[in-house]
Formats: sequence, structure tokens, C-alpha cells
Amino acid sequence: MRRREEPGGTQTTNGPTSLGSTREVVLRVEKLGYAYSPGRFAIRNLDFEVGRGEVFGLLGRNGAGKTTTVRVLTTLLPPTEGTAYLFGKDLRRCGRAERARLGVVLQAESLDFVSVERNLTLYAFLWGVPREVAKSRAEEMLALFELEPVRSRKPWGLSGGERRRFQVARELMHDMELLFLDEPTVGLDALTRKRILEYLARRARQGLSIIFTTHILQEADQLCHRIGVLQNGRLRAHGPPAEIKRRYRGARTVEAEFERPLTDPEQADLLAVLTREGRGFVPTAVDASAIVFRADNAEDLVAQLSRWGHSRDLEVARISVREATLEEAFVNLVTDDPLANPDGSAELS
Amino acid sequence: MKTPPVIRLVVRNFVANLDPITLLVMFGQPAFLIVILGTMFNQLIPTVGASGSYISFLVPGMIASQMITGAVLAGRVFWLDRRWAMVEQIFSGPYLRAEYLAALLLTALLFSLVGVGIMVLVALPLVGIPGLSLVELAVILGTIALGSLFFGGLLIAIGGRIRSANLYFTIQSLLQYFLIFISTVYYPVSSKTPEVLRVIVYANPLTYAANTVRDAFTHTFGPGDLVAGAVLASLATVAFALAVASFRKLELGPVQ
Repeated sequence: MRRREEPGGTQTTNGPTSLGSTREVVLRVEKLGYAYSPGRFAIRNLDFEVGRGEVFGLLGRNGAGKTTTVRVLTTLLPPTEGTAYLFGKDLRRCGRAERARLGVVLQAESLDFVSVERNLTLYAFLWGVPREVAKSRAEEMLALFELEPVRSRKPWGLSGGERRRFQVARELMHDMELLFLDEPTVGLDALTRKRILEYLARRARQGLSIIFTTHILQEADQLCHRIGVLQNGRLRAHGPPAEIKRRYRGARTVEAEFERPLTDPEQADLLAVLTREGRGFVPTAVDASAIVFRADNAEDLVAQLSRWGHSRDLEVARISVREATLEEAFVNLVTDDPLANPDGSAELS
Repeated sequence: MKTPPVIRLVVRNFVANLDPITLLVMFGQPAFLIVILGTMFNQLIPTVGASGSYISFLVPGMIASQMITGAVLAGRVFWLDRRWAMVEQIFSGPYLRAEYLAALLLTALLFSLVGVGIMVLVALPLVGIPGLSLVELAVILGTIALGSLFFGGLLIAIGGRIRSANLYFTIQSLLQYFLIFISTVYYPVSSKTPEVLRVIVYANPLTYAANTVRDAFTHTFGPGDLVAGAVLASLATVAFALAVASFRKLELGPVQ
């Protein structure tokens, strides 16, 4: 059973976009919890921070508490324990001024009964965006989110993907400092997703902080500076995606080809050498042309392969080590026994 | 100058919820009733109290009933906002819950007043220009305002406690028809009215509003109307308090 890392370490600034060495915190979450009724917690003991221009990904299985976390942090639900500081102010005392600095794309579909274009400008009006700015921004958003062909249609007549794009576009009609995106890319095709992620990354580089929930882990890996993994309402781990992958990646896949096909006795010998007890190399495919192993210590496996080849005057023609994906690390993390360390979370430096 | 938040919300309520068909149904129906019901019953009923003709009796009643039309619209806006997560979207933005509630009630009031204007215009060819003094006009508008606040508050209070659209719209329709038909909007209450019905009619706040508006039209406004106004004001305060309480306990999240 994997042991949980001890909390600690300093915040790093590595990630898809460098954040610089000094970090202005826009959101600090401290022991935050929300219970539907006494003892029935949806989230508990959450601790994390989000800096200016940082993209923080909240990952977790269905029902892990991602949406509840977003709802509490956007003041839609009051915390029942702990608190958070939004732009330095206690969440319980946050009002119009703090919310005016937020953007929220809810998981639930939200729309008004007017055309797509009118929805954009009407929403901008609600946020007090000057009419001329709203008009030009609406054009920008309609183009960016490929909504021009449907600008005159009512949102409920759009496809699921179009409605999702519309909802993200509408939120971007006003200025904000911290944007909450609750599964913004559900139902979107790969190309649209890529465009939206690129746009969000650009906005983050310009200083927009983003809290992002998703089930598409590749997205989180691509966009987020740091991620937090929620399980049963608790933060199991948080840190840069690279660190999460490194800590929880499990075995990596090593594939090797020799300069000539291996004979049957050679294959048997190689298999015997590599699967000797205690090495932790697991064969997944072995034949005359190539061998594929999974290994916790891929470097050791590569060295062993090389040594075995030398002893038989055989050169390794090609060798590849496939790094674990965030998805594999996530699966390893959330399939671990959550009861082993029920309190606190592992912060990875 | 920045538009105040409540006004922004009211504008949005009107822009986002007033499609032509909704307008046609909400105002067309009472206008149609004035023309058809008024003309038809005018032949059958020679005189009705101080109003004179039946149509002169009906018009002030239909004007008073516009407070229900406005309240129904506000309840509909609120429910659709819940159904389509606009309540959450607005609450997570630069608005207070109190402002959203105030905007709903103001929407109900303004919509009622628009309805009053339309009813007056429709009735003009049938009953002529009503010679109202400023006091009588103020009494009518004040009564409509209190009535909108009462019925709007009531529907919002109910809407905030229900999580099913079917249930909400069923309750709203029942309440709307019950209040309009068991009141003095369409017909007067006399000594010949069955006792049970008379009790129910006088328990209905719309009766007081209709009678007050009618008295203003017939220039017979008196102390009884002041009492009716006070009752309506008290009920409006209670309904407002109920709406506030309902908003405080409002559970955000998916509704059916």
C-alpha cells in the first residue's frame, strides 16, 4: 500500500507557464469543509492556494467534491468549517466587491431566453460592461468560440458542445481576476478544446487566475500549473502535475529491440534474467522482434537489458521508456486506500 | 453614471423574459375579456351598483387583476432563473440576494402598471376617458403597487420552497384562477350571494383591491377603502417577509 506524503514543502512555480518567484495569492483555502447536514460532509479539510496568473486544476472522480468546492469558493454555499480567503478577505465576509472580481462557469447549463448574441451582451450589461466594449467583445467571443453561425439562435436550440462553448464565451464577456471553470470542456471536440485551452493559457499568462475542474486529465496536465486531487471530499494530493506524476506514476513502460531477432533460447534466458525475484520488472510482451516490460525502476531495466546484450554480443537497436501519464498517476492515487491517512493532504514540492 | 444593480436586473428581467407570445397571452387574455365579456354581459346586466353598466364595473376589476398578471410574470422569471441556473449565475456575480428579490418585485410592479395602461387603452372605446382626480389616480396606482407586492411576494415565497416546475406552475395557475374568480373582479357580491362564497370572496385580498379601484373610478372612495388599503398593506408586508424568508433558505442547485 502506498503511503501518503507528509504535508510540507514550498510552493513551486514550475509548470506550463512560469509564474515567477514572487507569488501573489488570490485564494487561500484553510481547512475548508462543507456538510449537507451535521456529519454529512461533501468536502473536508481542504488546504490549498492559488496565485495570480496560476491555473489550478481540481481533479477527482464523480462525486469527489469538485463542484461543491467551486460552489463554496464562489460564495454560493457557506462553508460549515474552516474558511478561505478570497483576495485576502474571509469568504464568510465576501460580498459584491469580491464577487465582482470573479468569473464562474457553472457545471449546470445557465442561459437566458434570448439569442446567443443577445445573451452575451445582456450578460455584459449585468456586469456593467460599457455597451461599446460589450459589442466588440461579443464579436471577439463569437469568433473565438465559433459561435458566429448560431449567433441569432436561442441557446436551447444549440448542440451540447455549442451550448458549453456559449457558456464559457458568455462568462468571458466581463473582466475578472479569478475564473472558476467547472468542467468547461464537457462535450467539446478535440480541436475546440485545444483552442479554448490555448486561450485560457494566454489569459493566465496575462494574469488571470483559473480554477479548473475536469475529467480530461490530459487537459489538466497541459493547462494547470498545479493540480489538486480530491477523493471523497478530501484533498489527497496537490502540487505541479509533473510532481504528481512522479510520485504516483507507478510503473513505466520500457520497449526494446535488438539488432537481430532473438532466438527462442535467448528469449527464455532474457525473461529469466529480468524476472528474477525482487527486480520488479513485469513482462507485457516478449517475442523475437521486441520486448515490452513494465518497471518501477526503468533505468535499472535499461541497464540490465544493455548488460544482457553485451554478454551475448548483441546491440540494443532501439529502446524507449514511456513516462506515466497524469491519468495513470491519478488512477494510482485514487485507487489507493483513502482510509490509510484520512486527515490532511500531501503537498508536493 | 453606472446603472444601479436593481435596475440592471429589472432591465434584464424584461429583456430576457418578454417574448411577443408571452406578452400577447398575458395582456391579450384580459383585454379580450374586457371586450368580449364586457360587451356580452352588458346586454344581460342592466346596471351594477355605482358603476352603472356592467362594462364600467368590469374594467376597474380587470385593471385590479393586473397585479396578478405582474406577480405571475415575476414568479415565472424567478422559476425560469432557477431552472436555468441563472439564479446561481447572478448570485455568484456582483449582486446581493436582496437586490435580486427587489428586482423581481419591481418587475412585478412595472409589469402590472404596463398591464393597467393596456387595459385602460382597450377600455377607452367602450367606457370613455375616466375622469380621475390625482388622488384617485394615486389610490389606483398605490393599490396596484401593494397588490403586486403581495401577490409577487407570495408567488416568490412559494417558488423558493418548491423544486419542481410542474408543481410550481400548477400551484400558480390554481392560485391565479382561484383568486380572480372568487373575487369581485367579474361580478359584485350581494345579499343574494351564498354565505360561503361571500366569506371566501371577502377573504381574498384581490376583492379589496378591485373594490378600491372601482370606488376610485366611480368617485365613491371612502373610509372603507382606507381600511382595505391598510389590510392590503399588511398582507403585502407579510408576503414580503415570507419571500425574504424563502430567499434566505433558498437551496441553490438543480431543480426539475
